[in-house]
Amino acid sequence: MNEQQYNLRVAHLYGDLMNTYGDYGNIIALRYYAQQIGVDVTDQLVSLGDDFNPDNFDFALFGGGQDYEQSIVAPDLQRIGREVTRFIENDGPIIAVCGGYQLLGNYFIMADGTRVEGIGAMNIYTENQSTSRFIGNVTIKNSETGEEYHGFENHQGRTYLSDQERPLGQIVVGNGNNGEDGSEGVIYRNVFGTYFHGPILTRNGNLALRMLELALVRKYPTIDWHSKLANVTPEFF
Amino acid sequence: MTIRSSFASFVGKSTYWLLRDVLHRGGTSLPGKIATNIDPDILKNLAQDFDVVLVTGTNGKTLTTALITRVLREKYPDIITNPSGSNMIQGITGTLLTAKTSKNQRPLAVLEVDEANVVLITKYIKPKVFVLTNIFRDQLDRYGEIYSTYQKIVDGIKLAPDATIIANGDSPIFMRDDLPNKKLFYGFDHMDQSADFKVPANTDGVLSPTDNSILHYHSITYANLGDYFSVTDGFKRPPLANAVTKINQLHPKFSNFDINGTTFQIEVGGLYNIYNALTAYAVGRFFDVTPAQIHHAFESNAQIFGRQESINVDGKDVTIVLVKNPVGANQIIDMIATEADDYSLMALLNANYADGIDTSWIWDANFEKLHQTNIKNVITGGERYKDFNVRLKMAGFTDQAVYPDLNDAIGAIKAVPTEKVYVMATYTAMLQLRAHLLEQGYIKGRVTE
Repeated sequence: MNEQQYNLRVAHLYGDLMNTYGDYGNIIALRYYAQQIGVDVTDQLVSLGDDFNPDNFDFALFGGGQDYEQSIVAPDLQRIGREVTRFIENDGPIIAVCGGYQLLGNYFIMADGTRVEGIGAMNIYTENQSTSRFIGNVTIKNSETGEEYHGFENHQGRTYLSDQERPLGQIVVGNGNNGEDGSEGVIYRNVFGTYFHGPILTRNGNLALRMLELALVRKYPTIDWHSKLANVTPEFF
Repeated sequence: MTIRSSFASFVGKSTYWLLRDVLHRGGTSLPGKIATNIDPDILKNLAQDFDVVLVTGTNGKTLTTALITRVLREKYPDIITNPSGSNMIQGITGTLLTAKTSKNQRPLAVLEVDEANVVLITKYIKPKVFVLTNIFRDQLDRYGEIYSTYQKIVDGIKLAPDATIIANGDSPIFMRDDLPNKKLFYGFDHMDQSADFKVPANTDGVLSPTDNSILHYHSITYANLGDYFSVTDGFKRPPLANAVTKINQLHPKFSNFDINGTTFQIEVGGLYNIYNALTAYAVGRFFDVTPAQIHHAFESNAQIFGRQESINVDGKDVTIVLVKNPVGANQIIDMIATEADDYSLMALLNANYADGIDTSWIWDANFEKLHQTNIKNVITGGERYKDFNVRLKMAGFTDQAVYPDLNDAIGAIKAVPTEKVYVMATYTAMLQLRAHLLEQGYIKGRVTE
C-alpha cells in the first residue's frame, strides 16, 4: 500500500455507546472517497473518561444511541463539552446523527419525560412525543445547493432550530426534525446534524464529498481539493 | 378443570381439528384465541399438567428449543413443544390445548416464548426452568432497546421465583437483576484468560451492570459475548456451571468441540450454533440427561438446522443463510470464513416488513473481513440491491455482478467461477429465491422457512 501524504483523523465520539443503525458507515464512506484522492482516514474512539483535544482531530462522528446509553453519555459529555464546542467554533466538521445531534443542542427530553442536558454547542432543543415515533424513509432537498438526500428516520425526539442555524434540507417525504415545520437536520458552521440513518454519507455521496472537502480545505488550505474531488463519482441511492 | 375451562378447551380443540383435518390449515393461532376468549384462565388449567421449560431471548430461540427438546427426548418420552412462530400467548395456549400426552410420566413442555410475552405467560404458568439465550438489538424490533427487552423478561421471571434460570453467562446483560431465582450459567471457557482488552467500538451492550463503566474482556466469542470483567470494581463473569472447554474444529457444515471435557459434534457451522448446543446441554444436565445421551441427541441433527441448507444447482454447492441483523450477519461471515475452498458470495437484500424496513444494519456488519477468506466472486441482488452493492463496494469489493430481479439469480449462480456458493439473504429475499429454485426443480416441497 502506498504511504499516504495526506490524512484525516476522525474522532468517533462515544462510538462504543452511540452506535445504533449503522452510523459507523459514515466513516466507511468518508474513507472510501478519501482513498480515491490519496487521503488516508483513521478513526479513534473517544468515550467515557477519555480526553478530547480538538487539535488532534480533523473530523468527528457522533452517532445515535439507545436511550439508556444516551443517558450515560450525556453527563460524561459535559466533561469535554467545552473542547467539542471549541472544535465546532473553529469550523471542525462533524456529522451528528440522531442522539449525537440532540446532545450537541441545549437539551432533549427522553421518551419517559426525563430532561437530559446537552452541551449547547448549537442553540437547538429536542422535545419528546409520548405515544409515537417517526419511522420511515425520508427524502429532503437542500434549498441552497438544490441537492436531494435520501435516508431512513427512526426517532421519537422532535427537534427545533433557532435562527442561528439552518436546516440540512426541507422535507419532500417523511417527518424530519419535528413533523411540523418541514425542516430536517441542521447546518451550523461545519456541523451537519441529521436524523438520517442509512447512513447519510453512504447514501448521499454528494454530501460526503462536500464534507470531505470542508475537512481537507481546513487542514490543507493550499491544495485545490475541489478539482481533485471533481473526478470522484458519488454514490447515491 | 372448571366447567368453563373444559368448555373452552373443547371448543379450542374442535377448532384445531376442524382447521387441520377439514380445512388443512395447521399452525394458526385461532384455536388458542378462541379458547382464551371463552376462558381467560385456560392457560393456567392447561399448564397444570406439565413441567415447563420456557426458552426466550432475541436470537437462537427456535433452534435452541428444538435442540433442548431433542436432548430431553433421550430420557423423557413425553415432551411437547410449540412450532416455530407460535411463540406468543395464543400459540402457546394452542400448543398445550392440542398436546397428546400419555399418562406414564408428568410431561415436559419446552416452549419458545417471545420476549415481550414472557410476563403474559408467567401470569398463568410457573415454569420449572427459564432458559435465556442472549439479547441483541434487532432492527425488526423497532422500539426494543436491549435493556428494556431484558426488563420485560425480568418482569416475567419475577412471577416465578421458584424457577431455575439457565442463562448465557457470557452475556453481561443477564447480570442486571436482583432476582432471587437459582441461576446456572453457561459459556465459553476455551481461550487464554490473561488478555485484557475492550470490544471493538461498534459493539452493543458493553456497560457494566454495577456502575455503567465500559467492560473489559479476557476473551470474546462474538459481539459482546465473552469473559468480561470490570476494571473499576470486582464485577466479572460468574462461574460457569457448563462450559465449552475446547474448540476442536470449525467448518461451515459442522463444529467439533468439548463441553465440560467431553467431545461433541453438531452438523452445522457457526459459533452461535455451538452456543445453542451448549444451552441444550445445560438444560439436559439439569434434567439428568447423561452426556452420552446428549451426544446421541446431537448426532444426525442436520434437519433441525433448516435455516442453513445446502442445495445442488447443476453442480454448484449452494448454501443459503438468513440474515436480519449485524450480529447475525457477522456470525455468518465468521462461519463462511471457515470455508477451506474458493467460494462466491451472493448477497440479497429486501426491505419489506418481514425483512425489517430499515436497511442501515448492513453498515454495522463487518463485510471487510471477507477479504481474509477464500472469496472469489461477489453478486448482489434483491429489491434493495443498491444498498448491498454500495456496502460491498465500500468494503473493497469493486467488481460485482448485480441482480435486482431474483428471477435471474439462479442463472447467476450457475455462472460463478467457483463450485461453492454462499447466499446471504434477508427473509423475503430468501423466500423469493426459494420460489425460483422450486420452479426450476432444484428443491422440492413447499416454500417455507
